Amino acid sequence: MAGQVALARPGGARRFVGAGSLLRAVLRRPEGLIGVIILTFFALLAIAPELFVGPLQTAVTAKGPRLSPPIEGFPLGTDHLRRDMINLTVHGARVSMVIGLLATVITVLVGAVVGIVSGFAGGRLDGFLMRITDFFLVIPTFVLALILTPILRDLVGSGSREVFGIRMTLVVIVVVIGITSWSSTARIIRSQTLSLKERAFVDRARVIGAGGGHIMRRHILPNVINLIVANAVIVFAGAVLTETFLSFVGLGDPLQPSWGQLLESARAIGAPGLGAWWYFVPPSACIVLVVLAFTLVGSALDDQLNPKRRERR
Amino acid sequence: MSYLARRLGSALLTIAMIVIINFILFRAMPGSPERVILRGTPNVTTAQLNAARERWGLNDPIFPDQFGAFVVATVRGDLGYSFVARGQTVGQVIGQRIWPTVILFGLGEIIAIAAGLALGAISGWRRGGIIDQVGNGISLVLYSTPYFIIGMALLLIFGPGLGWFPTFGMLEAGARYTDILDRLGDFLAHLALPLTTVALGLIGQYAIVMRSSIIETLSEDYVTTARAMGLRDGRILRRHALPNALLPTVTLIAINLGYIVAGAITVEVVFNWPGLGTLAVEALEARDYPVLQGVFLVLGVSVVLANLVADLIYGVLDPRVRS
Amino acid sequence: MTVASRRQSLPKLADPSAPLLVVEDLKTHFSLGAETVHAVDGISFTLNHGEALGIAGESGCGKTTTALSLIRLLPSNASIVDGSVRLYGIDLVTKSANALRRYRWREVSIVFQGAMNALNPVHRLRDQIVEPLTERLGMSEKEARKRAGELLELVGIPKKRGGAYPHELSGGMRQRAMIAMALACDPAIVIGDEPTTALDVMIQAQILALLEDLRHKLGLSLILITHDLSVIAETCDRVLIMYAGRVAEEGTVDEVFRRPRHPYTQKLLAAFPNIRADRRTLDVIPGSPPDLRHPPPGCRFAPRCPFAMEVCTEVVPPEVTFGQVRVACHLYPPGSDGVQVTTAPPNAIGATVPLVEPPPAEPPLEVAGG
Repeated sequence: MAGQVALARPGGARRFVGAGSLLRAVLRRPEGLIGVIILTFFALLAIAPELFVGPLQTAVTAKGPRLSPPIEGFPLGTDHLRRDMINLTVHGARVSMVIGLLATVITVLVGAVVGIVSGFAGGRLDGFLMRITDFFLVIPTFVLALILTPILRDLVGSGSREVFGIRMTLVVIVVVIGITSWSSTARIIRSQTLSLKERAFVDRARVIGAGGGHIMRRHILPNVINLIVANAVIVFAGAVLTETFLSFVGLGDPLQPSWGQLLESARAIGAPGLGAWWYFVPPSACIVLVVLAFTLVGSALDDQLNPKRRERR
Repeated sequence: MSYLARRLGSALLTIAMIVIINFILFRAMPGSPERVILRGTPNVTTAQLNAARERWGLNDPIFPDQFGAFVVATVRGDLGYSFVARGQTVGQVIGQRIWPTVILFGLGEIIAIAAGLALGAISGWRRGGIIDQVGNGISLVLYSTPYFIIGMALLLIFGPGLGWFPTFGMLEAGARYTDILDRLGDFLAHLALPLTTVALGLIGQYAIVMRSSIIETLSEDYVTTARAMGLRDGRILRRHALPNALLPTVTLIAINLGYIVAGAITVEVVFNWPGLGTLAVEALEARDYPVLQGVFLVLGVSVVLANLVADLIYGVLDPRVRS
Repeated sequence: MTVASRRQSLPKLADPSAPLLVVEDLKTHFSLGAETVHAVDGISFTLNHGEALGIAGESGCGKTTTALSLIRLLPSNASIVDGSVRLYGIDLVTKSANALRRYRWREVSIVFQGAMNALNPVHRLRDQIVEPLTERLGMSEKEARKRAGELLELVGIPKKRGGAYPHELSGGMRQRAMIAMALACDPAIVIGDEPTTALDVMIQAQILALLEDLRHKLGLSLILITHDLSVIAETCDRVLIMYAGRVAEEGTVDEVFRRPRHPYTQKLLAAFPNIRADRRTLDVIPGSPPDLRHPPPGCRFAPRCPFAMEVCTEVVPPEVTFGQVRVACHLYPPGSDGVQVTTAPPNAIGATVPLVEPPPAEPPLEVAGG
């Protein structure tokens, strides 16, 4: 029975939904299947890009013609530094996805903790935490990220230290995305926590003297895990998008280009104006596909976890 | 009435928090603030440094003096001086760039709301129909595509390629206009592509939300009653389904406002539209913090106010929150 | 009882000598993917002027679908596949959607269960009653408001409450408001779909009394759909017992309730606690209603019927009329005397399904595996 958790849904029916059966339920829906296939594809590219295209080409190692449309040997053309677009795009997958993944971990962690604690504690603590959460929901967090990133970068200093295979400049982006994106997760988790709190089993635990932390860990947390997973999918899409936006406005790292960074370079040299579609179509297509895939998987998950949507009278 | 008061109070509190964050960020600037202020000035003497400290009040205790001065200055509209545009206040710099943004996004939102809601309503009403399937598919793809990618695609197709529209800036640099209409014409030509980009980017979201909202509404009992009354389809949609379907839609549009700022900034960058977005990016590159904070303040307050307006509209539409 | 005549004139095509409503062999099916649900499978009944007919049965037996079929208020995956619904002799089933609209509300109106959303939450009460008056009867705004006020008073809501929104009213008031709405176009028939189910007993009694009063004052005919037999006993002249999409028994309330013939009717009546009877355990009907995607051959009640015989599982029982009552049961074949049967016949095989434990009300929540 390892990995099996009873899912509590407000309004009642009990369902055993383990990680395995959740995945299977998603795969059973056509949109879920398509989404998972696309994401698996990009995950493979992201894990070991060298396997597919060799090491990341630099201005020094590049051998192609300058800003060339697709030709023999370079099916997706080259950029202004003579690098192969396929090489750049595949390596970009790694950067974009790793940043997205790490940012998601931070976001979901912070959001879930705030949500559970706030929902469970109630009262003044809840009010205070929710004020902060609502603040982050309302303000344009993108501009906040624009201000925070250079500040944090200067604090961290320059240098080529790497964490999880990405440079410190990009780690700062991960942290900034985490700081600015946790609030919608917190809201969702808090909602679920609130309704769970009313459940009889929590009262039972209290009666036998269980402390707050114990109840949160052993009773509430398992019942929100599925919701956290579903939310993480959406958060991941958002993180990839946010990183893309931040890179596009110049906060990316040209030495480790993500898709967004590639697009920034494309814009900087005026690729759209020059008609050099091959410079920005591959990274754009990848971004759209990945976000679309996340949306499809998220929709399939939502259908699975939210029975009201399925029943049509 | 108390609904209005609550919303207003909440908005003011949020604006206060924005001001506080701005203050903290100002203090958190790397290097001592005065050094950054004087950056670019060669051979800074200690006397000049101290004078700068005095002028900027950096010798006073942080709280309440510096904080108080900051708040008072902000409320008065004094946002400091730009590091880059020597001699100009942040207020002046922002003032020059705010109208292009308002026009671009104001018009874009209006078009997107009208078209998106209409498309979503029709899709949801005739669920499974051809408009629904095609529209839903397009909306989904548009929703997944960052605005600036849409922008670049449009640029590619319509810019130098077809040559139909200019792609850079708001007006031709150095152009001489015969009259106001001529100038307006040039402005509109430049506005065409970025406006289309913004509208396309937003339509997808609004259509999707409206569609699912209408579908929910159509399964409610009062719609069945309306059909039982023998009312015409058009009337049922207009008077019964729409007013209720608009409620969650308005809420979601409001929540969205904070997020579309990212799209707003990047679209301006793509087309070099001289608005707050490109200002923010320029300030970022030049580390012009006062301007950046000014933009944050202006955009933040705008979003808060827009949310407030959305709340008010919601209050008008839904009598249940008024009591 | 005297029945007042209606204010309105009859529709153009009406046959004044025909009974008010004749439903013949009505069949309504739902398509769920590849499968078809035979929700209503051959219902027939007649409603006369000024009469109150109750349609009773378990949830899912097709009573609501029957009512909605009368004015074709069905969801998109449902359709009437056979039968006729003749209002004043005019067959509504063959009418196009547009032609049918003429009869909606002006001849047949419906009152739903008064749950919160049966009234549009964003419109005032008064405006919701004015709407059918202006849209269907072509009244001016002024006339309509006046009439709306009269209707509200008629159902016992003070005129000045007309400016309220639905969420500001109690459940009982909302139900009265819906009745006022239903009466707006002076219909011949009002269908009540579980009109009192969501209300507490005291309010229930008031609403039923109101319906009775209106019926006599206005010459209305009522079709009351409910699972609560006591409501039917109190308000209706005739009752139709439905089971799994078919008629089990139909007749005057007096006859059916005092001498139930169909085993299902007997079980239904026995399942209702009688406050005056001796204390005894409640009768439970074993099993559950059949899956209407694959209904059993023969009598649909056979699997649960304690009096079931071989023939019941093979042949659909024909409907036979004995005086005031119509029954569809092999215990009362054509030509028999129709005397009530209360014990199992000698060749009975009985119920073939086991007694089923009702599911627990609130499953306990626990973390399995640790």
